[in-house]
Amino acid sequence: MYQQQDSPEAIQGRLPLLAAFIILAIVILFIRLWYLQVVKGAYYQEQAESNRIRPVKLRPPRGVIYDRSGRPLVENELVFDISLIPEDAPDLDTTIERLSAIVKIAPDAIRKALEDESNVRTSYDPVKIREEAPWGEVAVVEAHQDDLPGAIIEPEHLRYYPYGELASHQFGYIGKVSQSQRRKEQSDIGMLTGQGGLEKIYDKLLRGVAGRRLIQVNAAGRKVKDLGIEEPRPGTDIYLTIDLDAQKAAEEGLGVRAGAVVAMDPNTGEILALASHPSYDPNLFPRGISPQDWVKLMNDPRHPMYNRAIQSVYPPGSTFKVIVALAGLDSGVIKLDDKVRCKGFLTSGKHSFRCWKKGGHGAVSLHQALVESCDVYFYTMGERIGWDRVAEYARKLGYGSLTGILLPDEKPGLIPTTEWKKKRTGEAWYPGETYINSIGQGFVLVSPIQSCQMMSAIANGGHFYQPMLLKRTRNRETGEVAVFSPERKNQITLDPGALQEVRSALVGVVNEPGGTAHSAATPLATVAGKTGTAQVIAQKIAGRKLEGKQQDHAWFVAYAPAENPKIAVAVVVEHGGHGGSVAAPIAKKVIEEYLKNVGPKTVR
Amino acid sequence: MLVQRRFDNLPWGLVLLVVIIAAIGLAAVYSATYTSRGPSSLFTKQLVWISAGFVIMVLALIPDYHTVGRYAYLLYAVSLVLLFLVMVMGKTGMGAQRWLAIGPFAFQPSELAKLSVTLALARYFAEDPKRGGYELRDLAIPGAMVLVPLLLVLKQPDLGTAIMLLLTSALIVVLAGIHLRSALLMLVAGLVIAALVFAVAPVRHKLWGSLKPYQQNRIKAFVDPSSDRLGSGYHANQSKIAVGSGQITGKGYRKGTQSQMAFLPERHTDFIFAVIAEEMGLVGASLLLFLYLVLLLAGVDTARNAKDRLGALMAGGIVSMISLYVLINVGMALGIVPVVGVPLPLVSYGGTSVIATFLALGILLNIQTRRFMLFY
Repeated sequence: MYQQQDSPEAIQGRLPLLAAFIILAIVILFIRLWYLQVVKGAYYQEQAESNRIRPVKLRPPRGVIYDRSGRPLVENELVFDISLIPEDAPDLDTTIERLSAIVKIAPDAIRKALEDESNVRTSYDPVKIREEAPWGEVAVVEAHQDDLPGAIIEPEHLRYYPYGELASHQFGYIGKVSQSQRRKEQSDIGMLTGQGGLEKIYDKLLRGVAGRRLIQVNAAGRKVKDLGIEEPRPGTDIYLTIDLDAQKAAEEGLGVRAGAVVAMDPNTGEILALASHPSYDPNLFPRGISPQDWVKLMNDPRHPMYNRAIQSVYPPGSTFKVIVALAGLDSGVIKLDDKVRCKGFLTSGKHSFRCWKKGGHGAVSLHQALVESCDVYFYTMGERIGWDRVAEYARKLGYGSLTGILLPDEKPGLIPTTEWKKKRTGEAWYPGETYINSIGQGFVLVSPIQSCQMMSAIANGGHFYQPMLLKRTRNRETGEVAVFSPERKNQITLDPGALQEVRSALVGVVNEPGGTAHSAATPLATVAGKTGTAQVIAQKIAGRKLEGKQQDHAWFVAYAPAENPKIAVAVVVEHGGHGGSVAAPIAKKVIEEYLKNVGPKTVR
Repeated sequence: MLVQRRFDNLPWGLVLLVVIIAAIGLAAVYSATYTSRGPSSLFTKQLVWISAGFVIMVLALIPDYHTVGRYAYLLYAVSLVLLFLVMVMGKTGMGAQRWLAIGPFAFQPSELAKLSVTLALARYFAEDPKRGGYELRDLAIPGAMVLVPLLLVLKQPDLGTAIMLLLTSALIVVLAGIHLRSALLMLVAGLVIAALVFAVAPVRHKLWGSLKPYQQNRIKAFVDPSSDRLGSGYHANQSKIAVGSGQITGKGYRKGTQSQMAFLPERHTDFIFAVIAEEMGLVGASLLLFLYLVLLLAGVDTARNAKDRLGALMAGGIVSMISLYVLINVGMALGIVPVVGVPLPLVSYGGTSVIATFLALGILLNIQTRRFMLFY
């Protein structure tokens, strides 16, 4: 393979050349080293001693977060902090005393602040004494620089959330970097990074690059002159897919109640609104949240930090009937003219299963059963289709698995199968379980975002998009814009006739007499939707009024305009009561606000 | 038994030399990254890298170096793919949400590329000997072999590694034997192109514009260090102050005021030599230079004693590569070479560089241990 006969001598003859080159170069380096260290050693020694250049970190403003039409949702506010570099104060006590008089903080409190920082800071790191100092104090410190060696003014861009709790579960919050993060990322002390939500996910984009100002100080630590400034590079601005008006409508709709709203563009997967209540105010964090506030947030029994839109899973209640209807029609088990007689209950063995309408619906077709949300019809059809087949359709429509939204800790929920139950409990699946699961009770658990995705797929004919939060980014320095395009994850095929029938029934829910969601109707567009009232306790107890924690979860899932869907919404209100009266009006507001902005085109 | 013989032939002095240099490097990284909170985790990481490097060096002794040569093209292809991936991923990085998935582990394919190009060139020239030296047309293929990774590296952009690739390849071509006339021709052509670039304003302008702002600054700063006290000139100036103020005996370990006070940027990577020179003085710094000299000359010796063209070229190539890194890096710290950002082999902090250097030294030792062997 190799030409081993060829003697290496020719090459080896040239090797002394390489050796000579190396020797010569090293000798040159040595001479240079000698020159710097011996000949000019004293000169550089002096330079080193007078090298009292203090690099003062200039922290960059984080990228601004805008909504889809460019309205700022998260901004920065320029504030001034008064800090102290103890190494620069020849007489630290004097500086502390004088500073204390200006900022009105006890000298001991200042000493304590220095001490607290002493094991985390490196030399010449400024220690913050007074954050967000009022103008008066800043001016005094600046004017009396000579009498305050070691004291400096640090401009900071304080993260500011103008809408407070609005969409806070998307933004997350920012905080001081933890020790371990600082080691890992080599970020400097006092640097604030995203700690949850988008602030964390896009931290690298938003963060920017710190600049510095070099100041020369004399031996007494006083500033002699400014040597120059290396401007910080601001973080990249990001534009979310969120529509501020739709988001506001969602937040206002939920109000003080616990629950969640997710709205999506069914044609792209862009999240138009995502709200979870109760919420928290991210403005508590940028300065470091106080221990009391933190404990309050953590111990709140209503879990305000919890992002219900993606982390909470609920029984879907009657909204699940959409799946059963689709499963029945698509698989051919349900014929359009099949009717079921509802007399208000259905008996199976010893058990009796009620319909929500005491007197019964009479003979109902699929259309009527969806419009009026007849339970008995879906008990019957669930049994005819067979639970495992229903479960298969539920999975096809995205239930039981993550939507893949980038926000942290999404939960997949649960679509049970007969096999799952056998494995889990060792017991067989009872026919009665098919009944109750077919109306979205029992084991079935879904998240609001999954339901929103499900409605999107029905609206767009079976396409599943990666839920998008980021629409585009813009580099503030270069003006460079990166636009993110929708990503289709997969597509399912459904019988077009079946899809059409279900869609028409969903329009009926909102618009036909007897429909359960008239409160979602809007003059702006035809809304298609389905209500759900998910029982919190296992069986309905006849004749008893349920209150508080026992009250049902109210659901409404929808899309609009029915002819040309532009928005899909899922709303859940915990213990809210009836879906049609509680959840549907919230969805209606969200739809109206969004369509007002994009122009509904198909005004009725 | 064969393994036994191999270890008998192992030049233990050379291994010891590597150990000493790596130990000096570790000590310097410890000092340069030390914080008031105690040793930095960077030190621990570097310790892990160095240890892993040793294992890799020993492993590199096991196969015959001809086997290494046989895989040279494969390794070359792999590093091309990796470089390409960096380019592609770097692109979609901003365009999609995928950059999240890249993770915290930063692997630098360009560091691997410098070794694989060296080995691939060695194999190419070993298999294709030309009496009287290579003419220009003989250099078309190896030229392309260098150019492809070079452009990929430039695209990253990593000017330092690109320059190193070019210089190393040039040395290998000289070792392999270039026809004198061709060499002169290339030299003249290079000079003419350079002259044209500088003389013709539009061309110069375009080229200058194609450089990243920080690259422009580095060049400006080298021409006139005082022009940019905050940027690259600042680096070079601070480095010279650190080195010079070390004087003959140095300021003492971990007592370097310039390096400890964070005046010196990139002190644990590109400017590690300045830390050593400041804290250990002329004595320590020139000892380190001397150790490198011995190591490199031993490498030249390995090449001289190699049994065949492949061995001689691989050893020569590796020595060329390592010596260029040492010379450019130290030259940079001493302010006689522009700041291009290349690591000091075995000493600078950085996982991929450490591993690549140890692998190269392992191959060098491999050639050394097999110098008496008869080949099949």
